[in-house]
Amino acid sequence: MKIKTIDMHDKQIICLDGKVDTNTAPEFDSALTRLIESGSQQIVADFEKLSFISSAGLRVLLAAAKKLKATQGELVVCAMNPTVAEVFAISGFSTILRVFDDRESALAG
Amino acid sequence: MDRSAVILAVDDTPENLDVIKGLLATDYQVRVAPNGQIGLKIAKAQQPDIILLDIMMPGIDGYEVCRQLKADPETASIPVIFLTAKTDVADEAAGFELGACDYITKPVNPTLLKARVQTHLALKQNIDRLEDLSQQLAAAKGKMEDELNVGQRIQLSMLPTSPPAHDNFDIAATMRAARQVGGDLYDYFFITPRLFCVCIADISDKGVPASLFMAVTKTLLRANSTDDESTASIVTRINDALAEDNDAAMFATLFLAIIDIQSGEMTYTNAGHNKPFIRRQQGGVDIIPDLHGPVAGAMEGLAYGESHITLLHGDTLLLYTDGVSEAMDKDDNLYSEERIEALLASQNNASPQQMIEHIIASVDSFANDVEQSDDITLLAFKFNHHEEDASHQIQLRLVNQLNEIERLSNAFEQAAESVDMPMDVQLKTNLVFDELISNIVKYAFDDDAEHPIWVAIDLAPHRMTITIEDDGLPFNPFTRKDPDIQASIEEREIGGLGIHLVKEMMDQVDYKRQANKNKLILSKTW
Repeated sequence: MKIKTIDMHDKQIICLDGKVDTNTAPEFDSALTRLIESGSQQIVADFEKLSFISSAGLRVLLAAAKKLKATQGELVVCAMNPTVAEVFAISGFSTILRVFDDRESALAG
Repeated sequence: MDRSAVILAVDDTPENLDVIKGLLATDYQVRVAPNGQIGLKIAKAQQPDIILLDIMMPGIDGYEVCRQLKADPETASIPVIFLTAKTDVADEAAGFELGACDYITKPVNPTLLKARVQTHLALKQNIDRLEDLSQQLAAAKGKMEDELNVGQRIQLSMLPTSPPAHDNFDIAATMRAARQVGGDLYDYFFITPRLFCVCIADISDKGVPASLFMAVTKTLLRANSTDDESTASIVTRINDALAEDNDAAMFATLFLAIIDIQSGEMTYTNAGHNKPFIRRQQGGVDIIPDLHGPVAGAMEGLAYGESHITLLHGDTLLLYTDGVSEAMDKDDNLYSEERIEALLASQNNASPQQMIEHIIASVDSFANDVEQSDDITLLAFKFNHHEEDASHQIQLRLVNQLNEIERLSNAFEQAAESVDMPMDVQLKTNLVFDELISNIVKYAFDDDAEHPIWVAIDLAPHRMTITIEDDGLPFNPFTRKDPDIQASIEEREIGGLGIHLVKEMMDQVDYKRQANKNKLILSKTW
């Protein structure tokens, strides 16, 4: 998996390429933690190139979302493929995180 | 004195007959005949208990009368005592040769005559009683044999005789009991369309008790292998069932194998049985050495193990009982495993049926008419590999490390291509692997040792079955309560999500604890 972050000033975009599973989740976790600890409040997780996310990845997302929520920040996700969207639906994550169709609407939202 | 005993006296001199009458009439019923002709008639009609026979008579003499009496089945068993004035030793010998039982010379000594008659009557009665008994015995034996014949038919009907016709294998088996009913058993049947079970067993005894135990074993085998693909688990259960209330202290040696007829992968458990052979198509004969526990039925609560071996195209598995290896010749030499092995090595391209026939012929010629002392049973299974099926089956042995998930995932994706599995099913399956294998690696083991995790994936064009096994702590993940997916961010718990995803991503999930292993069985269609 590859992780890239893009600084959009008021928002930070974190782009995931590949899969977030048991083995790659820690990497995703430290990238997100770095962003939050450096003061980011609004984070967009761009899943356009994410093939799938397992519960290990969901846990990372949940932990980050909880931290941001506590400081009135927010983590949103966008551009999910159908498999990731299904995981979000099954796990109930689509109701606890705002989900956008693409990066543009996520940045606008 | 037996008043009902009938004595027939044959003599041409009336005075002699009077003397005999006078001596014997108080104790027996005495009939008289004045010549041989009449003597024969009375003998036939009245069946006397003893005949006193004069030798020198006009017409047919005593010798001829005796010869005719002995030649006729109706009178042959009546004791004949010759009474004659002749004292010549040669004459006595002639009389005995004709079947007379005694010889008394005239003039008759009254005490001697009485004593001899009494002795021969008692002998005759004993012989008659023995004959009666032997007839009763013969009748009882006949009845028992009839019942054993029925038993034999029932027992043989318990053994499969028409092997399934299949492109991927060829099988033959035979059981030849040493007595009418035997204690050997073979069986073969499909557990699933691609898993074929073969079994051979030898009960610790012969005859009727063994045949009953054999019937029980066979029933247990069938009953316990309908939903079980682990030979260790099946044998463990058969052992417990046999050992329970086993007052007769009988037991069975048992070899059970489950063969994947597409891949040739064979799982087997050997409970104290003779080590089978594999005749390799490439040449050579391998012995299957592993034993997984003692004989079945001897001790309750044992956990049997299992091993794996792969049959290659054209390989033949040969199972046999010790009636083959321990067949004896007249000098008590054993046929031996070595002879079986040597014979197998010499069999090029023999079919299972031919192989069995060759072995039986070889054993028979070795024994050379020495009576068969133990049941002789053989089963041969020849595997025919069909290359096109191979890519649809994946078998991987992982170890308990998280980076093994990647290896599994790569192997799976490669095979998934071959059956044109849709991308979303591939992704979901990889997700399932990630959840389940990581769970096992993290939670199944309470030590730091390396443990194997076995994964088997059975792929068909629109369906797959996944089996994951580990030897960790017993745990059924699917009984875990699903997380509350309606909860808000703050209330949302971290755990339980993975298994929930697995259940949703697969059509069917199942857990079994078998032979000290956790077994997860998943299936999905698309």
